[in-house]
Order: sequence, then C-alpha cells, then structure tokens
Amino acid sequence: MNNSNLHDALKGISVVEIGDQLGDYAALLLAGLGANVVKVEPTQGAASRRIGPFVSDTPSPEDSVFFWRYNLDKKSIALDLDNPAAREPLGRILHKADVLLLAGTFEAVEPQIAQYRELAGDNSGLIVCTITPFGLDGPYRDLHATDLTQMALGGVMAVCGYDPAPDRTYDTPPIAPAMWHSLHIAGEYAAISILAALNFRDLSGEGQFIDVSVHEAINTCTEGAMPMYIYNGQPLYRQTARHAMPVPTQQRLVASADGVYMLSVVAPFPREELALIKLLDQVGIDHVLAGPEYDDLKKEDPIAALDYRNYLVEQVVGELSAQELFERAQSLGLAWSPLRRPEESLEDPHFAARGTFAEIPHPELGRSIRYPATVAVDGHRPHMQYFQRAPKLGEHTHSVLQWAGFGDGEIASFRQQQLI
Amino acid sequence: MAHPNHQPRALEGVRIIDLTWLQAGPQATKILASFGAEVIRVEWRDPKAIDFMRYYIPFAPNHATADGGRVQGTAPSDGIPGNYDRGAYFNNTNPGKYGITLNLNDPRGRDLLKRMVSDAHVICENFSPSQMDDWGLGYEELRKLNPRLIYLRTTGMGKAGVYKDYVSYGPTAQAFSGLTFLSGLPEPAPPAGWGYSYLDLSPGYFSAMLVMAALRRQRANGVGTYIDLSQTETGLMVTGTSIVEHQITGKDTKRHGNRMPYREWAPHGAFRCTGDDNWIAISVQSDSQWQALVEEMGSPEWAGDQKFATADGRKRYEDELETRLTEFTQKHERYSLMDRLQARAIPAGVVQKAADRLDRDPQLKARGYFVDLPQSEIGTWPIEGFPAKLSASPAYVGGLTNRASPKLGEDNEFVYRKIFGLSEDELTTLTKENVI
Repeated sequence: MNNSNLHDALKGISVVEIGDQLGDYAALLLAGLGANVVKVEPTQGAASRRIGPFVSDTPSPEDSVFFWRYNLDKKSIALDLDNPAAREPLGRILHKADVLLLAGTFEAVEPQIAQYRELAGDNSGLIVCTITPFGLDGPYRDLHATDLTQMALGGVMAVCGYDPAPDRTYDTPPIAPAMWHSLHIAGEYAAISILAALNFRDLSGEGQFIDVSVHEAINTCTEGAMPMYIYNGQPLYRQTARHAMPVPTQQRLVASADGVYMLSVVAPFPREELALIKLLDQVGIDHVLAGPEYDDLKKEDPIAALDYRNYLVEQVVGELSAQELFERAQSLGLAWSPLRRPEESLEDPHFAARGTFAEIPHPELGRSIRYPATVAVDGHRPHMQYFQRAPKLGEHTHSVLQWAGFGDGEIASFRQQQLI
Repeated sequence: MAHPNHQPRALEGVRIIDLTWLQAGPQATKILASFGAEVIRVEWRDPKAIDFMRYYIPFAPNHATADGGRVQGTAPSDGIPGNYDRGAYFNNTNPGKYGITLNLNDPRGRDLLKRMVSDAHVICENFSPSQMDDWGLGYEELRKLNPRLIYLRTTGMGKAGVYKDYVSYGPTAQAFSGLTFLSGLPEPAPPAGWGYSYLDLSPGYFSAMLVMAALRRQRANGVGTYIDLSQTETGLMVTGTSIVEHQITGKDTKRHGNRMPYREWAPHGAFRCTGDDNWIAISVQSDSQWQALVEEMGSPEWAGDQKFATADGRKRYEDELETRLTEFTQKHERYSLMDRLQARAIPAGVVQKAADRLDRDPQLKARGYFVDLPQSEIGTWPIEGFPAKLSASPAYVGGLTNRASPKLGEDNEFVYRKIFGLSEDELTTLTKENVI
C-alpha cells in the first residue's frame, strides 16, 4: 500500500466562507488540503479585498495583494446578502456545505448563526465555525478590535520589542511582531478545530458548532511568559531579537562581514561550545575556550565567561559573509542563520527542491507568481498544494449556483433581481 | 456532571507514540491529546537524553508538593538538582499525555518500540535529522511493520532538500524564514524580532492539522502518510504577502513598527500610560473614531489643526501625532483609558502582561481559558487551554489522563502492562536492565 499525499485529503469537503479577513487564512489552509472553498461575498466584495498592499496606485477590489495571498484556490460568488431573496440561493449552497466558516465582529457574526443554520435546513452534518475577536460570550465579546489591539490584549506585544536601557526602563514601545498575525494564529486554530470536527463527524455522523476566539488563540502564543508568571510570579523583560526573560540577557544580534544580521546563538550544550571552538579555529581567531583558564572563569565568574564567549562570537561573525557563516556554522552543528528578508527564500535551492512555493498563473499579468504553499512534504511532493490565483469578485457565481443545483433560467432570474 | 474527559472525543481510539521533545513536537501532541487521542510520551532517563524542558527554567517553586500547587504560592526556583519532574514550561506543554521511559540505544528498547508502533495510528518525532534512521527506526522501516502508520517528523528545515541535515531551534527558523526581519521599527533600526519562538508553536499547529487530515484518510482507505514538516516553512506561510509584493514591485520588504502602511489608519501604535512599562494600543480607523478620540482628550488645541482633520493628514504627520497622543496617554491609567476609548467605539487594548492575563482578564476567566490540572510531583496549576469551544466533541487539555504533564516514566506500569501486555516479570527485568 502506498503512503498518501495530503493535498487532496479534503477532496469532497465543501467549505462556505463568509465574512471578513479573520476567516481568509483558515479557509486558505483547508483549500491547500483539497477542500472546495466557496467564498460568499457581498456584491461590493469581501472586506479583505480592501486591505493593501495593492498592485496599482488606485486600489480596486481586484488588485489587493493581501487578498491574493489569502484566497488561492477559492471560488467567489457575489451575492446581495442584505436582500431577503438571497436566502434561496444561500440556503441551497449551505445545504450542500460540509463546513460554514463565519468570520467577523461579534455584532456581525452572532445574528448570522441562527439565520444560516436555519437556511441549511436538514444538513445535520454541517460544521459551523465562527472566528470572532473575543469569542461569542464573555464580557469582552463586543469590544472593538483590530489586529494591533488584539496582539496587545493577547499578550504577545508585552514580550516583543527592543532591549531595555541599562536601568531596565524602556524608551521604545512593545512591538506587534508581524502585521495581521492575529489572523494567522486564529486561522491555524480554526483549521485545527474544523479538522477535529471532521474527524468526529466521521465517527458519529454529527456536525457541530465551533466558537474560535482570536483573543484566546493569541494567548496560547507567549511561550515561557505565562509559566514564568504562573509558577514564579516573575515578569519578563522584552529584548531585541531574543526571548523575553526575567533578567536581561546578552545582546546577540551581530552583523556579518557583508552587513547581514546573524542569529548566532551557542546553546548551553557542550557539543555547541565544541563546535564554536572548531569554527574559531577554522577562521583563525585566537581564543582560550579550550583551555583551563576558561574553565576556571566559568566557575568563578559565569557572566564574565559568557561575555568572553559572546565577544568571540562577535569576532567570528564579523569575519565572514552571512552565507559563509551559515554554511560553516551549520556544517559544525551550530543552529545559526542569517536574518533573511522573506523574499530571499524564493531563489533558495532548498525550497525549490521541496516545492515550498507554488507557481500560480496570473493571466491578467501575463506571468506567474510564486506563493508559499506548503509546510510539509511526503518525501517527494508537497502535502499542501495550490493551483489557482485568488478569484475575481463573483468569478464563480454561475458555476457555484450550478453546483448548488440551480438551472440557467433560475440563475438568470437571480441576475435580473440583482441578487448576484 | 460528567467530567470533561468523559465527553465525546474527536480522536477516540487514536493511539499516538510520541517521541517528541522540546517545544515544536510536544505542542502538536498537546493538541491531539486535547481531542482525546491516547498520547504515549516516550522518554529516556539518561540525563543526557532527558527533554531539556524538564530541567530548564521556569521551575515550580521548591515548596510545591503533590497535594498542593499554586495554592501554596509562587516563588522563583532554580529547580531541584536531579529532579526532572518540576519543569513548569514542560508541565504546560505536556498535559493529557501518558509518560513512559524507553532506552532506544538498546536493541531490546528498539524492539519494544517496534512492537508499540505495529498497532499505533501515529508516531511523532522531532529529533535531529538523522537520529531515527541511525536507530533503524525511520519511516521505511516502520511502515513495513504498520503500513497504515502516520509518521510525523518535524525538523528545522525539513528532511528533504539541500539543508536537510541543518540544525535549527525556533529562533533559527524564524530568522531564516524572514519572520525575525519583519518585526520591528523601520530601518535603520535593527529588527526587534520575537520575544518567543512562534516557530516552535506553529509547527505544532500544522502538525495537528496534517495528522488529523491523515487520520481521516487512514480511517477511510487504510493508507499511511509520511509527513516531513519544516519549521521554516511554517514561517514562510505567514510571510506570503511580503513575498508576493516583492515579486510585483521588485522592492525589498520593509518593516513598519506598529504602524499600518496599507490603510490610512493613524494613530496606530502602542502609547505609554502611567506606571512601570505600561502601554495601550490604539488603532484609529476612521474620521469618526478620530473625532471621538479628540473629544476624549478634551479637544486640545493641537488636535484641531487641519493637518490632522483627514486620514491622509494624520498619516502624513504620524510622528507628530504619536508624540502629541503620548502626552495625553502617559497621564492615564491604562485600563481606565481602554474602557473610556472602547465606550467611544475606538479600538484600544492594554498591552497585557502575563500577570494581567492570568489575574485580571475577565474574558479569559469567563471563557475558562486556563484549566487547573494536577501533576503528581508539584500539585495543581493552571494550564493554558485550547482557544476554541467545540459543542459536540470539546477539546479538553487534560486529555485522557485528566492530569498535567507526566512525571518521567510515571505510566510505565499502566502502559507496558495494561496497554502493551508485558508481564510483570518482563517489566521488572527490562527495568532492571536499563531498557525501560
């Protein structure tokens, strides 16, 4: 029996996605595993079409790079959701759906739940998943939120930013570490929850309701910060490009000979210190790391020993180019890396060999664009695959309605009523 | 009332042999255990092989005992030498799992593992790239014993490709993927990076997803799946907009601090409040929100300047706007200000620290985010839960064990005897001979 590739693991599963940008990434992940994702958009287009960057200087719903990235392999139907007559086509679509993903504010999403469940009729296997800023209950459910305020309340910002001054006060603010990251975290958890619900449906035949809270999702993401407080009552200092800690630690962002910042950590394992010694010897930097005086220093003054070792790391990083450092350090077993810009991976042969990027045709541009597509391979092929660019608004309205069981005459009538 | 772990489970009957360690691997099995999988965590008690997280800070306070826990109070601790059951972070990452010891350097240990794998559904590992092959326990070997097996392997770069033998921690993968670069103030400021390893967490999320996709296929068709997961690729997935934009414009990716470059939202940042290192995030998206903010500030003269009247102007003069706004916020208590801004429909959120989230956040309390679970050495502590409510098959972080993390080898008797059918004599002999 062959082992399987998962790019079509959700073949036959239809996901109907309605709402704002909070749902885009979750549905994208399910599409990469083969789900048929139908994005039901209002006639003016989904909210995520209005998020930049844009391809041109005059933004339009069709040229949002943000929308392009998060909506590969989806089908778009444009439907006047405010018109009561839209209930009929939407009802039939929901009747065929396996998953309904509703994303947005509590105010927007909450009234839709009962309404759309009713429209789905006797589809008892339907999995309804909401993604809202704080979940559907609790005192914060109505709070006004953006990605930034969620990253603040969720706890991530408090541990991300720049080093404190020597007196341990800060003159720089906490930093939200990447734009729109709250939707990434929540999207990943929504996809996990939906897959769990699909597993449960396989066992029981039952659908269910899932309430994903962006706030809670972000809360899971501060690693040591929460245990440090729960067990030790210790607050943490945020630090430049390294973990927040109860006591500020040594700076470790050092530039290579060609001016690229390097992550050049030597973990507290003997094998890593030995690897550093080999690297220093290769480059010809004098040191006493292998001698008894360093052992004595470690015993007498561990901080001074660490300072000395870090000084040597700075010396060696400053001697070589980033690529040379990367290859040499890694060949010795040191987990060092240059701080790359994301796009630098596009031409990297490693990712080419793994099929990390999917080449997606954009006929309107007369070219293809490469998108990050997978996080895993089966040994040969990517487990997640994408084939189609993001849809134009309403590009698949006709075919989706046909899939839902409507004939050409009915579809023409919807068009006449300006429902679609 | 039925205990949460008596509710229906999405992964009922799924057995996972968990060889993972540190963070990236155990994060996956924490989630899978929450959905009811029987996760058997396999470790070895040689100090050189023990999971680093068992003996790295933070630790439970030295006074914590099995019948106590957080009720006994918190305190800093450097751990108790030779005791590997007091790691706090380990406790948070490994709830709901059974814990056994097994010496894979001994051929009898490897044979026992093969026996366990032969009727398991999933095996997970995140050793350095060649370890499992060196033991003769790679996927090709194990699939001969169990063709339905799902084999999840997590490494920094992935096991296929040019860098297949490269080593990585979460921060390494973050640096290489571009995530570290993306975080921070615009150049020439250096990157701020991340104060934690998202790429030790995100691989766990993707692993849970892919394993659950593979389980459906295994159930339906009886086929196994080999999953070679790359921490770095989980980072690239969330840098996609930058990568696509670069291909269109040809320009290098830039950092933007807390500002929003793609919409005319300003002010949009973190602003100092009263107290020590206290901040509030404020995100103004419209003229009406700006007007509301001006009113909340008492309509100061500077805010009436025409240059701030439009979104375009606020964006153009964002430096000055932030300085002026800080003059206001730094006189105010952060939660009180958040409440007042929220009452005016302005998105605002306190930059919450861990203490704020655990002790104060009423939303996390109301939703039951933290789950108190006992651990057999250090007592009962709050464990970070699963951030979604499922109505029919809820996630429960206590899993099947209804407990936080296992002590090293805590479940040897139960797992080897009850689950795998070893006789008492076999268990005694193998333990004495350093195999278990």
